[in-house]
Amino acid sequence: MAKASRRRTLTIRRGLTNFYLMAVVLTLVVLVQATLLARVRLVGASPNLLLVVVVCWSLIRGVSDGLIWGFVGGLALDVIAGLPIGTSSLALMATTPLAGLGKNSVFPGSLTLPILLVALATPVYGWMVLLSEMIRGIPVDWLASTVRIIGPEIALNVALVVIVYPALRWLATQIRPAQMEW
Amino acid sequence: MSRVSSRTFLIFALAAVSVVLLILSSSNRLGPVEGALSSAGRPFLTTFSGLGRQINNMITTARDLAALRGRNNQLQTMVDTLTIDNLRLQEAESENERLRSLLKFRQLNPNYDFRGGQVIARVIGKTPSNYLQSITIDLGSEHGIKPGMPVVTERGLVGRIHKVGALSSTVLLIIDPSSGVPALIRGNRLSGVVAGRAGGQPVMEFIPQDEKIALGDTVITSGLGGNFPKNLVVGQIVEVRQRDYEMFQQATVRPTVNFDRLEVVLVITNFQPLPGEPGEPESVG
Repeated sequence: MAKASRRRTLTIRRGLTNFYLMAVVLTLVVLVQATLLARVRLVGASPNLLLVVVVCWSLIRGVSDGLIWGFVGGLALDVIAGLPIGTSSLALMATTPLAGLGKNSVFPGSLTLPILLVALATPVYGWMVLLSEMIRGIPVDWLASTVRIIGPEIALNVALVVIVYPALRWLATQIRPAQMEW
Repeated sequence: MSRVSSRTFLIFALAAVSVVLLILSSSNRLGPVEGALSSAGRPFLTTFSGLGRQINNMITTARDLAALRGRNNQLQTMVDTLTIDNLRLQEAESENERLRSLLKFRQLNPNYDFRGGQVIARVIGKTPSNYLQSITIDLGSEHGIKPGMPVVTERGLVGRIHKVGALSSTVLLIIDPSSGVPALIRGNRLSGVVAGRAGGQPVMEFIPQDEKIALGDTVITSGLGGNFPKNLVVGQIVEVRQRDYEMFQQATVRPTVNFDRLEVVLVITNFQPLPGEPGEPESVG
């Protein structure tokens, strides 16, 4: 009885820790994205820190965690960016199953997998945003957007992985060890 | 098994919520909520934006210091101590210059009304999305700002007010692909529409095929359609594309405004866009 109660308390405490961590990290990420990174424009695009964080977190903590981070972070970004609410959430959530492919990698410390996944997730995210815009009746130039926006964004996002992934891995180990997901 | 099911449920539940929010937001039913959230986030945005500017300044200063160190080591100590004061002075001076330029624009265009103490809107944010070219300014409905109002700098047309919150507004830039500005070429008075291009410079479309266009000609607003006042500078023609099989020719326009370095803008408050004109939707490439 006492054991079950202790386990429940532990679960609640972990849940709260995860919630606080998510709130702090995502608030910071969205503010940095909206203010600092929005000023960084290289070859026509800005890096997407939120996307990189969501993909890396999905890789470290699993698809379910990534989905929630993508949903919450996307809502916050849409409010600040002035995009219709839900656009970024949907696009970010679409990238998390991709990240789940490498969840149980035998080389969790290696940067190769997160770099590869971010490189794949960037066009998925971009095309999801373009698709949602097209559905809402806005003319979309798919080729130009892919070449001029998504292409440079891949390079910038991949560069961010080098900093973001180790930082998130360290953060994750401070909370609790990762669990295998099947 | 149950784990897989709960994850699938989570995916569908969150996706469903997102789609519902997207539909409500697209049909402007979440306007008050979005406005309230945007107002709540404004102080943080302003703070972080200022921080970003400071960091930019500090990076520039650091570069300057590195160059100075190479040239003259003896002055290093003095430079270090004066850097902070210099920063402040430079900031004040450049702001002073910008304000003077804006004042000149006001004097040259006395017909446009500028809001008393809030004449100048400060840019407090740039869109964090690569799929929308907009900026956020620190004036909102409480300052008399309304959707559709043109936004300019002393260098030319910036865009127009797209979304209005209580204390801040979003300006859709003329380089956004969903933006269309009726314009004419100052030299030969040819009219067309300047539209943004994904990741590229805007293009003036619908120019009659048989007309000659000179590179370097200035493009100004034509006032047609009633969305923008007449005679605001848009940019300069840098490239002309003419194909025999097309009905119209196109000209690439380099905007006179540097959208990456916008810090202060003017909102023309006495210009009323024609009713029924659609506010541009959020854009993509």
